[in-house]
Amino acid sequence: MGTVIEIDNLVKRYKELIALDHLKLTVEEGEIFGLLGPNGSGKTTAINCILALLYFDKGSVKVFGEEIQPNSYEIKKKIGVVLQNVAVFEELTVQENIDYFCGLYIGDKKLRKQYVEEATVFSGLEDFRKFYPKKLSGGLLRRLNIACGIAHKPKLIIMDEPTVAVDPQSRNRILEGIQELNRKGATVIYTSHYMEEVEQICSRIAILDKGRCVAFGTSEELKGMIKTGEKIHLEAAGLLPFHLEEIKELRHVYKVDYREGMLEIRCSGGKHNLVHILDYFGKREIGFGRVYSELPTLNDVFLEITGKELRDSAE
Amino acid sequence: MFFRLYKYSIFQSVRCKLVLFWNVIFPVVLGTLFQMTFGGYVEEQVIFRRIPVAYASEQEDGAFGQLLKGLEEDSELVKVQTAEYKKARQLLKEGNVEGVFCEEPDTGDVTLIVAEQGVNQTILNSILKQYQRAKATFSNIGRENPAGIQAAAVRLEEERRYLKAGSVTEASMDCLLDGFYSLIAMTCLMGATSGLSAATDFKADATSLAARRAVAGASRMSMLLPDLAAKITMQFLYAAFSICYLSFVLGVELGEHGGLMFLTALVGSALGIMIGFLVGVVGKYSYGVKEGLCIGFMLVSSFFSGLMFQSMARIVEMYAPALNQVNPATLIAKSLYSLNIYDNLGPYFHCMGNMVVLILVLGMASFLLVRRERYAAV
Repeated sequence: MGTVIEIDNLVKRYKELIALDHLKLTVEEGEIFGLLGPNGSGKTTAINCILALLYFDKGSVKVFGEEIQPNSYEIKKKIGVVLQNVAVFEELTVQENIDYFCGLYIGDKKLRKQYVEEATVFSGLEDFRKFYPKKLSGGLLRRLNIACGIAHKPKLIIMDEPTVAVDPQSRNRILEGIQELNRKGATVIYTSHYMEEVEQICSRIAILDKGRCVAFGTSEELKGMIKTGEKIHLEAAGLLPFHLEEIKELRHVYKVDYREGMLEIRCSGGKHNLVHILDYFGKREIGFGRVYSELPTLNDVFLEITGKELRDSAE
Repeated sequence: MFFRLYKYSIFQSVRCKLVLFWNVIFPVVLGTLFQMTFGGYVEEQVIFRRIPVAYASEQEDGAFGQLLKGLEEDSELVKVQTAEYKKARQLLKEGNVEGVFCEEPDTGDVTLIVAEQGVNQTILNSILKQYQRAKATFSNIGRENPAGIQAAAVRLEEERRYLKAGSVTEASMDCLLDGFYSLIAMTCLMGATSGLSAATDFKADATSLAARRAVAGASRMSMLLPDLAAKITMQFLYAAFSICYLSFVLGVELGEHGGLMFLTALVGSALGIMIGFLVGVVGKYSYGVKEGLCIGFMLVSSFFSGLMFQSMARIVEMYAPALNQVNPATLIAKSLYSLNIYDNLGPYFHCMGNMVVLILVLGMASFLLVRRERYAAV
């Protein structure tokens, strides 16, 4: 296993705005690497620097061990790109589009034909070969966008928010497809502001905020970095301030939030937290409705590290 | 890879209905309207292309009368009507002839009477001047060296041939043809929008599609060249279609040099594409703004070439001749006009040369602007 991408001390400014602030990342061969962060956190800028599309002010970007330049065609031939916006020709059919982009990498006609066919089937577009992009639904269009990016069987696939504005069914299919590509040996860089997607498919994750990498590791490692071990939600009407104070005094409870009849209790690890809380409500003879407990999410990681919600920031 | 990308670029052009409308339907409609409005007049001009002239002399076989008869039969430059002096003046007054030649039976002196000044009158005057010069020469030779008469006759015959070759061609000289030439020029220059489209698909900071192409494993020039070649091909075909429609469907006499007219269409199309490409690669304005610039330029250029106002090119020639040397629509229209109006190809190649120089300048400027391969922002 080698290092596929090595970003060191990367700084990119847009006039006064610092888009990338001494970013440092490494992506290892064979992994699905997630870049998670709200809109404007620097994910796309980082991708564009990796692809040698952008000038940057400082630092270095190495891909497959070499500094990537705009004319590094041999390196670029190993990369497949699925950009955030659908980038296909409106006047070419599904099959022609895939063939066009595959042909920018694969010269051999027979091999290209085979690859185009495989990409068409892989993307589930076999029934839409002769369709023009404007006749495709949003989900199918996204799949075409992906097919154009991966048809040449690249070793490194960079996907910049490929599931934006996609229905759940298509989204699942896309995510399964990415995992399949990874199983076949491709290294994948996946950027998204949907934490569930990143958590579902990525082996390692970097959380970006304001151009900086604020956390880095596996999903479990990231969750281990924060105080929250468990979140308990409880529907209860008419709680008084002293009740909240008493709940906060319970073992492992470190934060209590009560809004519109819904109590959120954050516990720092430990076991049987829900039992202790229900026991308190029983002793005080306070009635309650729905109760559920959940483990921390990447949103909680982002919240604790940056002080703001990932979802809110993304919108 | 070149031919595959070329093929796909052709597909794109052919399948874009908007492009087809502006490049095929619009010129056809405009050409048809031109023909419906001015067609009759054009026809009239063509029928009377030979200069009608009256010859008045009491002597039946005057020398000048013989010359006119020769010109009428050999060069079809004039259409001679022999009449008495009064009748001849009457014909001139009624506008049936452009001039009256009167030959004195005793002296052989010839005078020309015209009612107005114009190209035809200038030609008639030129015929008279040459005759007078030849006559004077023969008189001198006969007086001083009678043996040289034979050689002088040969020389005179050569001069008569020159008169025929140096005159305007048989085709119509009417300025309404300028409108059709300007229409062909406009069709060529409509390629500017295709050139703009090529630039938009090329600049990675313009569209996602361009960005995707920029990060592909092939050089950007290897993608750009087939694209430009395909767009020039298509634009040439659109212009060629316009020429064929005007010639074969509307019956407009555009001229005899078909091959050179198509060559003009090809070079003109390349010029149109390069104008659009340069507009596309300059600055970071939206596609809509750049498209507006291209269309605006095309219309202004066509206006100065005489599309909307037929005498405009001549007015520009009078007051700002340099503009006509660089105005793309004028150069295209003028090269077509030159083919039709001059017997030698010098003026035609002058216009074509100017167009080639413009293409090279535009191409180099575009190249300097797009050679950078990284962007400040995408």
